[in-house]
Amino acid sequence: MTTLAFEHKNVARVRQTIKGFGMDTITLAGPLGAKLDAIQQAGFSQVMLKANDFVGHPQGFKAGVAEFKSSGLRGTGFQVLRDFEGLSGDLHAYKVDIAKSMLDMCSALGCDVLLACSSTSVHASSDRDHIASDLRKLAILAIPYGIKIAYEALSWGRTINEFSDAWDVISRADCPNLGIGLDSFHIFASKTQLEELNFLAPHKIFLVQLADFLWQEAPTFEDRRTTARTFRVFPGEGVHSPDLKALVLKLEDLGYGGDYSFEVFNDDYQQMALETVAQRGQRSAIWLADEVLRRNVPSLKEMRLR
Amino acid sequence: MSDFLTKEESMREPLQAAFSETMNPIGLNGVEFIEYTTARPQALGQVLEMMGFRPIARHRSREVQLYRQGDINIVVNAHASTDPVGPLSAGLAGDEQMHTRIAAIALRVRDAQTAFNYVVDKGAWAVNTYPQVMELNIPAIHGAGGSRLYFVDRYKEFSIYDVDFVPTPGVDQHPPATAGMHFFGIVQYIGLDRSDDWLTFYQELMGAQPVPAHERFGILPQGTLIRFPSTDTSASFMMQLIEPEGDMFDGAEYVQRIGFGVHDVRAAVKQLSEQHVEFVKTSGAHTDARGAITKTYEHGVVFEFVHSQFGVKS
Repeated sequence: MTTLAFEHKNVARVRQTIKGFGMDTITLAGPLGAKLDAIQQAGFSQVMLKANDFVGHPQGFKAGVAEFKSSGLRGTGFQVLRDFEGLSGDLHAYKVDIAKSMLDMCSALGCDVLLACSSTSVHASSDRDHIASDLRKLAILAIPYGIKIAYEALSWGRTINEFSDAWDVISRADCPNLGIGLDSFHIFASKTQLEELNFLAPHKIFLVQLADFLWQEAPTFEDRRTTARTFRVFPGEGVHSPDLKALVLKLEDLGYGGDYSFEVFNDDYQQMALETVAQRGQRSAIWLADEVLRRNVPSLKEMRLR
Repeated sequence: MSDFLTKEESMREPLQAAFSETMNPIGLNGVEFIEYTTARPQALGQVLEMMGFRPIARHRSREVQLYRQGDINIVVNAHASTDPVGPLSAGLAGDEQMHTRIAAIALRVRDAQTAFNYVVDKGAWAVNTYPQVMELNIPAIHGAGGSRLYFVDRYKEFSIYDVDFVPTPGVDQHPPATAGMHFFGIVQYIGLDRSDDWLTFYQELMGAQPVPAHERFGILPQGTLIRFPSTDTSASFMMQLIEPEGDMFDGAEYVQRIGFGVHDVRAAVKQLSEQHVEFVKTSGAHTDARGAITKTYEHGVVFEFVHSQFGVKS
């Protein structure tokens, strides 16, 4: 990786080009402040935040919030609420409490999207109406805060493991602030057909997370879990680039106008200099913006204004 | 044959919808009181007295005063600065927390415990209220922008005020309403694109329903209008949800004002003007037969008047 892209474009132009893209704090090693600096230095204006960055802050949660707010970066969203849906009795009550803590933190950070991943728990019901009813309750909890719930199908989720299944329960739950979170990794791992995206209401896509990986196949849940947590790469760096390109173009075609965030878990990136990793992220964002979405090609409207 | 065809409206059985669990899941029956918090209780008290309210009782342990006229109760809480604040108001700067504002709406329900359990099970946030010895523990949940919704079930045989308040000696405990004023509705300001969220919130927890677009009340008919069910038809009330205008970016959410119903708006405005209440007279919002709106007192206290026979017709 060189810094060629960065050297050849001025900073303002890079920022303008990649403004719809953000990095995730999970991709980078080190303390929160250093992560935020590296992300901003690479020209990103937004970042997907993870709870441990703040609760594990050496000076505590409030100091973490203050550090984030002074960074000037916008929070794409906050992650992650796990294994929430399908539980009963004490387990359900426990998870509602956890969800409330996550909503409190999400709100303190000024993020308006909370990511909730589909359950992997063997204690959870597989009944889709039960799942939908719990998700509706989660969304109602989020309303006073003005937070949206992006529900994402993990490709190793016990009942919900494809975005088409997630969309089914979201539709059953039918709550305006409950929508879908898409993650390219899980879509490619579970080999869900992109045509299924046609059934989604574009305004209910609350978050799109992008990552690639270097295996052609991830057939078992165990393969998927291991790959997802250790060996994702930035879009354009893996073997699914054509699929990723097709996915992004499909979303744009459907009218998706929201954020793209790079959800890249990678053990190698965890032992590299933050600047180096952030530059890989920048290169990936420029590839998506310039070569896939052609965002720098002036529109007819802009040409007329000149 | 349906009694709709054979009987006058007044002779019919009340609409069954309001009694059914589905349409009125918590047995809602109107508003018991509205609570303001303020750092200037005397100044707010003067405004309320000008509006026809009378201070009738004082809280046993806190700096809280009860004002009343007719069936409308307003609680003025100057004690709030020492109350633990919920996470929703944590974002407010200190002085904003102490601005005079509507801090709570107390709803009459069939059974407070049942109602509270029902809404919490549906996804409401329980709020801790910290009653002192011998005071009522009134269950509460989070509403808009750090405000609370209380559930009160003792409003028929005896009142909650008998427990928590000491009547002011020599003061009529039931002052008559000025110009037939009664509680009509609440106006809540909300963030951009938040109408569906709040409609769903009140629908899910309390069985509120959107009012068709052709039914509008008062002189400021913008926004989304919803009606809350009630076991007594006349106790039903409205809420108007108002998003910021297109060119405004103020997404602050709060309960902005109370709407009072009066039979004759012009007569009410005349009577209140004689009591020195000032009304807005701009081209966009001036008194007419449908309604009127007062000027803003105490940096945020506004009252609206709406033409209404009694309560809301269903």
